[in-house]
Amino acid sequence: MTDLPIVGFVGLSAALLAVGLFGILTRRNFILLLIAIEIAMNAAILNFVYFAAYAGGTPGLTGQSIAVVLVGFGATEVAVGLAIVLALNRLKGTINVARATELKL
Amino acid sequence: MIYEEIAFVLLALVAIATGVLALLVRELVHTILWVAVFFVDLAALYFLLDAPFLGVLQLGVYAGAVTVLLLFGIMVTRKRIFSQEARIGIGAIPFGLAVVTFIFVVAAIGEFPQSSTTIYTYDPTALSQNLFNVNGPWLLLLGLIMLVAVGGAIYLVREGRE
Repeated sequence: MTDLPIVGFVGLSAALLAVGLFGILTRRNFILLLIAIEIAMNAAILNFVYFAAYAGGTPGLTGQSIAVVLVGFGATEVAVGLAIVLALNRLKGTINVARATELKL
Repeated sequence: MIYEEIAFVLLALVAIATGVLALLVRELVHTILWVAVFFVDLAALYFLLDAPFLGVLQLGVYAGAVTVLLLFGIMVTRKRIFSQEARIGIGAIPFGLAVVTFIFVVAAIGEFPQSSTTIYTYDPTALSQNLFNVNGPWLLLLGLIMLVAVGGAIYLVREGRE
């Protein structure tokens, strides 16, 4: 599989990171915000997997191991994020992050 | 192989399109459906990159668990499931910032050597050796963080908290 050009994969990662960044900056719904963060995080994981295949051998396996750990981190992050969504919904009756101003000075 | 390049281009286009659609459609349930397609597409990319274990993990954790979790989050926070979001303008500054990030990262690719020479073949035994022996401490740390996260999530949503 090593024939695939590096520009394509890193460019895809960059595009997905840009999409996630755009979502983080524009969306006000907490669940959409979580999804945008997941898209950006998946771009990072894709980078790890690509460079793992690119390096081959032991460094490649290390890259895949890091990717496995990162998938676990992503799932954990969604779980905690949804707990925050539920708490915010009970407190404010909405999941609009613009309304979550409790910690403002 | 030309077939792999065609497959990569198609999968990349689907990934970008579903990612954008997930953030732009008005109904939240449709967002979840598009993001599920996005996760499955990334799993296919992992298979293309000779990482089938990671591809299966992506299907199970992201396309399965995370999607259902997000769907439950929508179900319990809305009165009607198919209720639409208010449309928000795209916004020139966030869009510009995203485009600048993309251009910056692509410009940085020129620093890398442009073609790979090593042949990588998937070997589950070597991967498990690496995962559980060499990187064992990271897995333990992941388990600890997951435990703390579950505790924190239960603390956040428990009954009678003001």
